[in-house]
Amino acid sequence: MKIQKRYISAFAALLLSTAAFAQVPAPAVKQSKPVLLKGATLHVGNGTVVENAAVGFENGKITYAGPQSGANLSGYEVVDVTGQHIYPGLIQPNSSLGLNEIESVRATIDWREVGDFNPNVRSVVAYNTDSDIIPTVRANGVLMTQLTPIGGTVAGSSSVVQLDAWNWEDAVVKADEGIHLNWPAMLIPTGNKEYDDRLNRMKDRREETLRELGQLLSDAAVFKAAKNGTENLKLSAMAGLFDGSKKLYIHTNYGKEIIESVNFVKQHGVKDIVIVGAGDALAVADFLKANNIPVIYSGVHALPSRAEEDVWQPYKTPYLLHKAGIQFALDYDLSIHGTRNLPFIAGTAAAFGLDKEQALSSVTLNTAKILGIDKQAGSVEVGKDATIVVSSGDLLDMRTNNVTHAFIAGRKVDLNDKQLYLYKKFDGKYKDQKKQQPAGATTSTGK
Amino acid sequence: MKKIFTIAACLAFGAGSAMAQETFPRNGVYDERPGLVALTNATIHTDYKTTLNNATLVIRNGKVEAVGTNVKVPAGAVVVDAKGKHIYPGFVDMYSSYGLPEVKRAQRNWGSPPQMESNKQGAYNWNQAIRPETNAVELFKADKKQAEELRKQGFGTVLAIHQDGIARGTAALVTLADKRENEVIVLDKAAAALSFDKGSSAQDYPSSLMGSIALLRQTYLDAKWNAQNPGREQNISLKTFTDASRFPQIFEADDKLGVLRADKVGDEFKTQYIIKTKGDEYQMLKEVKATNAPLIVSVNYPDAYNVEDPYDARRVPLEAMKHWEMAASNAGLLQKAGITFAFTASDLKDKKDFLPNVRKAINYGLSEEEALKALTATPAKLLNAENLVGSLSEGKLANFIVTSGNLFANDNLILENWVQGDRYKITEVPSDYRGVYTLKIGNNTSKKLKIAGTPDKPELSVIGTDTVKGKISFSGNLVTLSFTDSKKSNETIRLSGWLADKNLQGEGQLPDASAVKWSATFSEAMTQQDKKDSAKKAELVEVGQMIYPFRAYGQAELPKQETILIKNATVWTNEKDGKLENTDVLLKNGKIAKVGKNLSESGAKVIDGTGKHVTPGIIDEHSHIALNAVNEGSQSVTAEVRMADVVNSDDINIYRQLAGGVTTSQLLHGSANPVGGQSAIIKLRWGKSPQDLMVDGADGFIKFALGENVKQSNRSNASERFPQSRMGVEQTYVDAFTRAKEYEQAWKSYNKLSKKQQAKAGTPRRDLELETLVEILNGKRFITCHSYVQSEINMMMKVADQMGFKVNTFTHILEGYKVADKMKEHGAGGSTFSDWWAYKMEVKDAIPQNAGIMHNLGVVTAINSDDAEMARRLNQEAAKSVKYAGVSEEDALKMVTLNPAKLLHLDDRMGSLKAGKDADVVLWNNHPLSIYARPEKTFVDGVAYFDAERDAQLQQDMEKERMRLIQKMLTAKAGGAKTQNPTIKKASVMHCEDVEHHEEESYLAY
Repeated sequence: MKIQKRYISAFAALLLSTAAFAQVPAPAVKQSKPVLLKGATLHVGNGTVVENAAVGFENGKITYAGPQSGANLSGYEVVDVTGQHIYPGLIQPNSSLGLNEIESVRATIDWREVGDFNPNVRSVVAYNTDSDIIPTVRANGVLMTQLTPIGGTVAGSSSVVQLDAWNWEDAVVKADEGIHLNWPAMLIPTGNKEYDDRLNRMKDRREETLRELGQLLSDAAVFKAAKNGTENLKLSAMAGLFDGSKKLYIHTNYGKEIIESVNFVKQHGVKDIVIVGAGDALAVADFLKANNIPVIYSGVHALPSRAEEDVWQPYKTPYLLHKAGIQFALDYDLSIHGTRNLPFIAGTAAAFGLDKEQALSSVTLNTAKILGIDKQAGSVEVGKDATIVVSSGDLLDMRTNNVTHAFIAGRKVDLNDKQLYLYKKFDGKYKDQKKQQPAGATTSTGK
Repeated sequence: MKKIFTIAACLAFGAGSAMAQETFPRNGVYDERPGLVALTNATIHTDYKTTLNNATLVIRNGKVEAVGTNVKVPAGAVVVDAKGKHIYPGFVDMYSSYGLPEVKRAQRNWGSPPQMESNKQGAYNWNQAIRPETNAVELFKADKKQAEELRKQGFGTVLAIHQDGIARGTAALVTLADKRENEVIVLDKAAAALSFDKGSSAQDYPSSLMGSIALLRQTYLDAKWNAQNPGREQNISLKTFTDASRFPQIFEADDKLGVLRADKVGDEFKTQYIIKTKGDEYQMLKEVKATNAPLIVSVNYPDAYNVEDPYDARRVPLEAMKHWEMAASNAGLLQKAGITFAFTASDLKDKKDFLPNVRKAINYGLSEEEALKALTATPAKLLNAENLVGSLSEGKLANFIVTSGNLFANDNLILENWVQGDRYKITEVPSDYRGVYTLKIGNNTSKKLKIAGTPDKPELSVIGTDTVKGKISFSGNLVTLSFTDSKKSNETIRLSGWLADKNLQGEGQLPDASAVKWSATFSEAMTQQDKKDSAKKAELVEVGQMIYPFRAYGQAELPKQETILIKNATVWTNEKDGKLENTDVLLKNGKIAKVGKNLSESGAKVIDGTGKHVTPGIIDEHSHIALNAVNEGSQSVTAEVRMADVVNSDDINIYRQLAGGVTTSQLLHGSANPVGGQSAIIKLRWGKSPQDLMVDGADGFIKFALGENVKQSNRSNASERFPQSRMGVEQTYVDAFTRAKEYEQAWKSYNKLSKKQQAKAGTPRRDLELETLVEILNGKRFITCHSYVQSEINMMMKVADQMGFKVNTFTHILEGYKVADKMKEHGAGGSTFSDWWAYKMEVKDAIPQNAGIMHNLGVVTAINSDDAEMARRLNQEAAKSVKYAGVSEEDALKMVTLNPAKLLHLDDRMGSLKAGKDADVVLWNNHPLSIYARPEKTFVDGVAYFDAERDAQLQQDMEKERMRLIQKMLTAKAGGAKTQNPTIKKASVMHCEDVEHHEEESYLAY
């Protein structure tokens, strides 16, 4: 009962700590001495597996990652993780984690702003590091996320954060790295004449939206050069799209919209484009490849969109994307609390054709590349941040996923959370009840 | 030239016959005429199976006086020579809204305050959708335009039904003559009409299909009670409902499943409905036949889809493609099955499609005789109006049509439609001018004219040095022609003229503006080949295979029960043997025959299970798949509604879940109200009818719900509907069960009385809602209670204690871990999510260790889905209890197999691998709690309803079938067929909180 032991020891640690009943543990302190994990199977994140490996890190950076035999142990505090598995920390792109606590309570929602074009709106300032949900997500191996605003046509700017911080400034990994565009949906007649008027109005609105979007992009492209002295927050926020310093994330699923949107923004000079959602990516695979557009595929744990499709189509899509040669990452988009299931999204992809290490890449290194943070994150390689997860079994399978250690830039993350606290609280109550009852006694059966 | 009719084209309004006009004073001199007409020399089809050649039909005063081959023309009769023409009885459409006001559906917004009571003032029913007091005869107004439209299709009589509400009142049989209402109404009350559609009622209840069904049931009981206990309650609706029961009962069904649903209600109240259908009955022919219901069949066929764009063509579902091809086969298949049916034009947007569509049905296999019967004798018989319409014999209404030839030939024309002895001209007599003529323009005789095509649509070609197509039209005995001189020329010669014997002649104008005389002399009749071409009878059309169910992954042949021996697998028995390695499982006669080592069975299909795992089928305690509706949330207590009434056996999620190893699901009512509806427990027998999905002999269950959904706290506006707080929820239960106890007592007291005393006391009213609650009190129905927070869970158990019943299962039960000891003491089970939380206030304390704690305390614990996607991986959800709470793997598997079986009282038949239990078994390729596991075969009752290999084959076959149909549609379009754009119909995946199921047409392309 390895698992129960972990909980018990975690609970003991809680009791000892001064903030014994804090539900969101204090962020870990900066790495003070070099640490070396040894004896585990290393899953680098780039497809490579190293058996019997060691991973060393110092000052938050990885100093060694390779066979244990090649590691110089001197100076390291050695942690024996023999038989376990080391992974890069998982990254959840396209997420509202920390921007919303309880979906049904409006007061806790901070992911949507009014207005149709809000490129200047920054998600990172609304990021709640004290969310009860975040620790539960870390506990399954997800250590970074992309805070993604939603709503309107241009929803705002996203930032990548790590999940163990005192405040949003501490959390930032890459600030304002991209702008999110919700591509206006193409409209088709329903065949029901009654609705034609409404359809036409919606079509007009769509055209108007696209016209405004085109104008916004045209104006933003030249704004920096114009230097007319008057600041325009919206245009300034978009400047990076044209020199490649910011990405444009286009949220769309429909194949024809993918083609339409990419061509549209490219014509306006946008350099770095990512398709998010990408339900139909396979149908336009050649287009995506020809234009070198990566995708963040959202719908793994989903039903097929048509009855005729393969029952397992959404589960197989990551494999098929891989086979088609499209660069892709996976996200978990069913709920915020469900973000902790991101490893199992990758696991599902592995169960349906993707190689396990490729599946891991789709939630680590591929994601880091698409988000533009692969120099520091996404794989366990020398020089990168020591953002690492250790699991006693296969991280991608809920049957074996059991995170024993997690490090964010070398800091050892506390794996407790509110749910563990509640578990121990009530489990303790029942254990006490049992102790108070003589052995063999049964509870009263009522009437 | 054959101008056959000699009398004036159309009789004036009111003249000719004088029935029922007697009470009206006249302005001017009386002008009554005998209306005596004899049609002679005709081919008369006196009824659908009798044809008289060279016969005479005599009518007088709007009625048939005589018909036959030896009938003498009476003195004073106007004689109409109908040589070469056919006469048929006028058609009867027994499902029409002719002459009745349009039904406007109630428009209510989401935010509107609830309408709990009927808006109709007066001593009527409590529910506005029950309106049997409606008499169509009182609303009926003859409508010239509508009448003409229908007459053109051959109809003489229609049943006018006010198609509004669930009980729709009586319908009137009226003719389509342009006369005063007093004359055209031939039966003021010919039938009563019903449906499951609440129509113009804006009252909240019923808000769902199962609510409509329940309301109709209760109305039958109320009407009976009201009739048996006169004076207890004056209720015009109930009284008229009872009165109307002596008429034929016509039920409008939405689709094939609606036919079965309607018939089921009819059976309960010993009423055989005549059911109006949508034309898709062929897809469940066996079940529809078993209803014994006569049908009123729509001939509304879908247009082909525009499928040129392969990407957009994906949107057209297989069933829509196949229905496009097969819709016209419906009538022929009904005939083959021996089902009685009448045709209706009611669903046709364009009534002009009616006869062509009936002809199409004949090309697709319907016999002409049966077609005529469905247009005449059958509706007449079903309406008990055979003495009036449906055939031509003495005393019947003089309703008949005169046609140019065989009614069902493609080139046939309805020339006249006579209604109540009044003659309505439909088509001008199209004389046949086809042939070749020598054309003379001025002195030029170098060209010939060829008139081909059909008599009513002649086509002109002018043959000179080259052949050019021209235009020709006849109007009476006048003719107009135009054509160019040669192919290259764009100058048109225009000729105008008249008919002179067989020839044409007249004057015209040449392109140079000069006037010219012309003539065309008939030289030869149409060639034999031309005649053949125009009279060509379409060959019987071939269509694709029937599949069950009629949609993707349907099959022509359902898989069969087999004797299966799975060898050398890891077998999770869920019995005290636990998990057995290298073990065999034998399935026989739908049961598990043996579990053991080295089994053998002659004739068994052997499956190598080496490296594989065998588990019992997964049982989902909380599911909303395969339903056409989920919530009847309009009232806080709706114990009377039954999910079994709305099971949708066509739902693709049945197949998808089989692919995830699910074999049994409890289909629950939603969580919109404290007492929801009765559950349906089904096995996933993909391809079978709703009735065949039911688990026979299963205990009855009912959904209760607590918390935010029932108090409507996540709606934007506070509502007036009680309850709006957890305080009110408790009182709702206390009140409901108090009433139930009083109800039971009232019946007990009544049943103790002597017959005489009973008669004096009067029968208590049967109330299906309270009856259901009494079942709970008596331990005959069991509760699955949607619940989240500990206070409400505790409350529910206390109410149960107070009222003397048990809560069988708390479902969702996310704070079960806080009161697991109390649940254990009460004897309640828990059926929960593995790891959902934080999406609303009442789940902020939910923990993934919940199942583990409840389990450890001895509560029977299950993991459920409430979600059609997650249900496909319930095994993985169970595995999370191992991960988060350290439950053993075997116990975790039981949370999705044996434990839900226990909660559903089905553990004597399901949930473990033990000889004698149902052969509901899954063969996995991997450890069943692993994410890498997927079912290779899922057996229900020993039938492999899912088989991964067959699945691949089905996908290929389906793609081939789609390609065939796409090609056929493209050909149809190229041939001029009407088309429509592919649209998206999104069937929403349902959860507890969904209000109603809508298959929505979406504008969005994805």
